[in-house]
Amino acid sequence: MYEFNYHKASSVSDAEQALRNASDGKIVAGGQTLLPTLKQRLASPSDLIDLGGCSELCGISVDGDTVTIGAMTTHAMVANSAEVQSAIPALAGLASNIGDAQVRNLGTIGGSIANNDPAADYPAACLGLGAVIVTDKREIVADDFFTGLFETALDEHEIITAIRFPKPEKACYQKFPNPASRYALVGVMVAKMSSGVRVAVTGAGADGVFRVDAFESALDGSFSASSLDIEMVHLPDLLEDIHGSPGYRENLIRVMGKRAVEACG
Amino acid sequence: MAGNQEFDADRAQDFRVVGTRPARPDGMDKVTGKARFGADMNMPGQLIGKILRSPHPHARIKSIDASEALAMPGVKAVVTAEDFNADAKDRDVLTNIMARDKALYEGHAVAAVAATSRIKAQQALKRIKVNYEILPHVTDVDAAMQPDAPILHDDMFTQGLDEKPAKPSNINARHEFGHGDVEKGFAQADIVIERDFKTAATHQGYIEPHACVANVGADGMSELWVCTQGHFHVRSQCASLLGMDVSRLRVTASEIGGGFGGKTTVFIEPVALALSRKAGRPVKLVMTREEVFKASGPTASSSMRVKIGVKKDGTITAGEASLNYQGGAFPGAPADFGAMSAFACYDLENVKAVAFDVVTNRPKGAAYRAPGAPMSVFAVESVVDELAKEIGMDPFDLRLKNAARDGSKSSYGPKFGKIGLVACLEAAKAHPHYAAPLGPNQGRGVASGFWFNFGGETCSNLNVNEDGTITLAVGTPDIGGSRASMCIMVAEELEVPYERVRAIVADTSALGFNDTTEGSRVTFSSGMALIKAARKAKEEMCKRAAMMWDIPAEAVYWAEGAAHPSGPNAGDFEPMTIEEIAGSAAKTGGPIAGHHEYNADGAGVSFGTHIVDTEVDPETGYVKILRYTVVQDAGKAIHPDYVEGQFQGGAVQGIGWALNEEYIYGEDGRLQNATFLDYRLPVASDLPMIDTVIVEVPNPGHPYGVRGVGETGIVPPLAALANSVSAAAGVRLTDLPMSPPKVLKAIGATKLAAE
Repeated sequence: MYEFNYHKASSVSDAEQALRNASDGKIVAGGQTLLPTLKQRLASPSDLIDLGGCSELCGISVDGDTVTIGAMTTHAMVANSAEVQSAIPALAGLASNIGDAQVRNLGTIGGSIANNDPAADYPAACLGLGAVIVTDKREIVADDFFTGLFETALDEHEIITAIRFPKPEKACYQKFPNPASRYALVGVMVAKMSSGVRVAVTGAGADGVFRVDAFESALDGSFSASSLDIEMVHLPDLLEDIHGSPGYRENLIRVMGKRAVEACG
Repeated sequence: MAGNQEFDADRAQDFRVVGTRPARPDGMDKVTGKARFGADMNMPGQLIGKILRSPHPHARIKSIDASEALAMPGVKAVVTAEDFNADAKDRDVLTNIMARDKALYEGHAVAAVAATSRIKAQQALKRIKVNYEILPHVTDVDAAMQPDAPILHDDMFTQGLDEKPAKPSNINARHEFGHGDVEKGFAQADIVIERDFKTAATHQGYIEPHACVANVGADGMSELWVCTQGHFHVRSQCASLLGMDVSRLRVTASEIGGGFGGKTTVFIEPVALALSRKAGRPVKLVMTREEVFKASGPTASSSMRVKIGVKKDGTITAGEASLNYQGGAFPGAPADFGAMSAFACYDLENVKAVAFDVVTNRPKGAAYRAPGAPMSVFAVESVVDELAKEIGMDPFDLRLKNAARDGSKSSYGPKFGKIGLVACLEAAKAHPHYAAPLGPNQGRGVASGFWFNFGGETCSNLNVNEDGTITLAVGTPDIGGSRASMCIMVAEELEVPYERVRAIVADTSALGFNDTTEGSRVTFSSGMALIKAARKAKEEMCKRAAMMWDIPAEAVYWAEGAAHPSGPNAGDFEPMTIEEIAGSAAKTGGPIAGHHEYNADGAGVSFGTHIVDTEVDPETGYVKILRYTVVQDAGKAIHPDYVEGQFQGGAVQGIGWALNEEYIYGEDGRLQNATFLDYRLPVASDLPMIDTVIVEVPNPGHPYGVRGVGETGIVPPLAALANSVSAAAGVRLTDLPMSPPKVLKAIGATKLAAE
C-alpha cells in the first residue's frame, strides 16, 4: 500500500465534504475490491473516506411494491433479510451467492454497483429489475447508471445512498461461476415486471452489464424458456479471456436465461 | 528393491498403538497460530531480499548494471550469477536459481537485492538495468521437439539414442522400458485402440509460498531457516552453490504449509545466503504467489500416444506408449518415471514405453506427488476403459484378468514382490459405490494407479529422558503426519503410552544426512529407523535393569514399558519401569539412547484403484463430482486418519488436474494465470466427501508392514475422471483439463457428427 489519509465519515454530507477536500479521494464502502487493489499498489488515492460509520446508509425497508436498500447494506444482510426474501427472493438469492462468507459480511451493495465490475452480480440485479440508484444529489435509473467497464454515471463527488428495487411479478437470477474466481462467467437476471420483461446479463459484456432486447421481446410474447431459442440480435461485443470465448459466453447467456425463465415458474 | 525380510506377522497380530487415531502433535499449534512457518521467522537486523526476474521467456543477458540500485539509501547488497560458485556440482540448479548467460523463462531470476525494507528492495529492483537480447521462445512440448524449434541449450544432444545426434535439440533424453515384442502382440489382438492424449502443466498449489531467512556470519558460520521438505538436501545444494563447507551451514526446517514435491529443491535459499554473505546481515526472502507460479517448480505437461491390443476374452496382448514430457527450461521432466509407471498395473507379455524428456521456455519443473505417473497412467487407463467397453467386459474384470500380481515381471524390469493391486481391484469392485444407480447425464469411471515408493538415506535418534519420556529426533520434515506416526511406532515398540513420546524435526547439525521427505518414504524409512532405535534402547534398558538386579542381561526381557526378569530362576524382582530405569541412569552408565542410520531398502510399491461418479451438464459442459471412492494399499496404516487424509488429498489434487488446473501460456510466452483467481484449485465446496478404503497387504520390507501412501493417490484420478466424464458426456475426452468449454465443444462435435 501507498500512504493515504483515512477519514471515518459520520454522515453522507461529512463524506461528501471530505471527498471535495481531497486531491484524489476514494470512498470505502466495504473495500472488497479497493483494499486488495491498494495492497497490490495498483492505486494510490490521497484519501480514503470510509462510509462504515454512516448508519443512515444501512438498512432495508419495504414500502408497497418498492424495496429500498441502503448503500452500505452488506450482501449478507440482503441475503438474510426476511423482507427481501419475501418481496424479491431472486435478489436475496443473488446476494447469498456473491463471493464467500467473508466477502458477504463486508461487501456492500453500494460499493458493488459503484465499482461496476463487469463480472459482478449486483449490476445484473439493478439493470434486470429496473432499479433506481439514489445518490446524495439525484436519482438515476439503472439503464443510465452503468456506462462501461468499471464506469458509472456518478459524478466526481457523488455518493450512492440507496437502491430502490420495484417488486417484480417474478424474477430469477442464474449464474454460471467462473471455475477459478467464482465471479460470474455469465449471470442472467430475468424479471417479469408489470411494465414488461427485463433480461440483464453480467460477466459476458466487453462493456459490462447489458440487456438482451431480443430475449425481452420474445418473453413479452410468451414467458417460456423455449421462447429463447431465437437469434440474439444486437448483442454487444462479448468478453474473451482464458476462461471462455465469446461463443461459449453467448451459449451460456441462452442456457442461463432459459434456466432463469424455467425457475421463475 | 527387495530389501530384507523385516515384517513380523506375529507381532502384527497384537498391535496396541499402531492403527489407533490419537490427536496430531502439531494440531494445536496450527489451529492457534503458534506454529512457525517459513515467513514467521525474523532475525535482529535482518534485511529484506527481492529478486529481479526476466519478463522475457527467452533472452540473452548482455549486461546488468546495478550501480543505481546500489546507490539508493537502504540498499545493502545486489547479487547476480557472479556471486555463486561457478563450479557448483549441479550446474542446472546453479543456472536456475540465477540466470547466467540467458534468461530461459518468464520469471527466471537475473539479480537480487537486499535492502532495509521490502518497499526499498522493490524500488531498487526497478533501478537495475538489464540489457536483454530477446530470442525466439517455445513453450509447447510438441513444438519444442520440431527440428526448427528455438534451441534453449546449444550443448544439449539427446541422450539415450544409439548414436549421438549431429545437432543440438530440446530433447534431453530418450528413455525406453519394456519387454517382449509389441508388434507380435498387436498381431495377436482382436481389437487394437490407439489414442493421443494431452495434459497441462499444473502446480502443486501449496498454500505456503517459499520463504527463508539466511544469516551468514563474518566467520562464514551460517544459518538458514527455511520452509522445505528436505533441509539436508538444501544444505548440500546451498553449500555447493555458494562454495562453502557443509559443516558451516546449519539448516533448520520450519513448519511447512504444503509441499507435495515442490519443496524438494532450492530456489530462493541460495540467493538469500548470497545476499546475506555480501551484506553481512541476515536476509529474509519470501516469494509472492505470482513468483511461486512463475519461478518455482510446476509439473510437466505432456503429449502422449498409447496403443493397446486385447483379445475378445480380455487378454491384453500388447501395450505401447510414446510419451513427450516438457519439464521447463532444464532437463529432468519425469518422462522416465512416466514410462516406468504407464503399464505397471498390468502383467504383460509384450510392453514398450518410450519417453522423451524435453526442455521449453517454462520454469524448471520440480517433483509433484508421484512425478510423471499421473499423465501416462491417464492415457493407459483411458484406453483400457475404452477396450473394456469395446469387448463388453466389466472394466474391473478386464483389469483383474491382466493385473500385476505377486511375482509378476513389471513393465519396467524388476519382478514385483508382495503387492496389493488385486486386493484393491477386488475391494473396489465389491464396494457399494460400484453398484449404486446412476441418473441421466451421469457416468462412472474407474482407474488404477501405481507408485514405486522410496527408502533412502535416513538417520534418526531416540532419547530416553530422565523421567522416562521419549524424545525422537528425525531428519525428515513432517509434511503428512509423520511425527504422529513416529510416536505411534515407538510407543508400540517400547510399550509406553503415545503421549509419552514426542517427535521433533531436528536441524542439520543434530543428525547425519537424511534424504528429503519425498517418495512416500518417511513413515517407512524414518519409521523403521526409529523402530530399530527403540529396540536398541530397549536392549540397553534391559541391561541397566539387569545391572541393578545384579543378574545377567540375557535374563531380562521387555514388556508393558518395563524390564522383567525372565522367570523365577532369573530372580524374584518386581518389573522395573522405564521411569525407574531412566531415573537411575546416572548410576548405571549415563543417558539411554537409541539411534539408527542406514540407506533404507525394501520400500514396497503401492497400488490403488479409484471410482468416481460425475454428472455432466450437456448445455454448459460443467462437470460435477457426485461420489468418489479411493481404495489403496497402505501395507499397514499406522495412523489411519493420516492415511485417509493422504488418499483424499491425492484424489483432490488429481481432480484439480483433471478438471480445472492448467498453466496457460500466451503467444508471448508469458503465463496468463499466475494467481489463484485465475488458476483454480479444487476447494471443499467443489467436492463431495471422498470415501476411503484402506487395504492392508503388508510390505515384507518393514517391521510393521508399512508402505508409503503419499503419492499413489494422485495417479488414478485423471483417468478415473476422464472415464467418468466420457461415460456421462457420451464422448471420449483425451485432453486435460476437462474445462467446461472443452467438454461442451466435445459434446457439440459428437452431436454434429450424429446429425
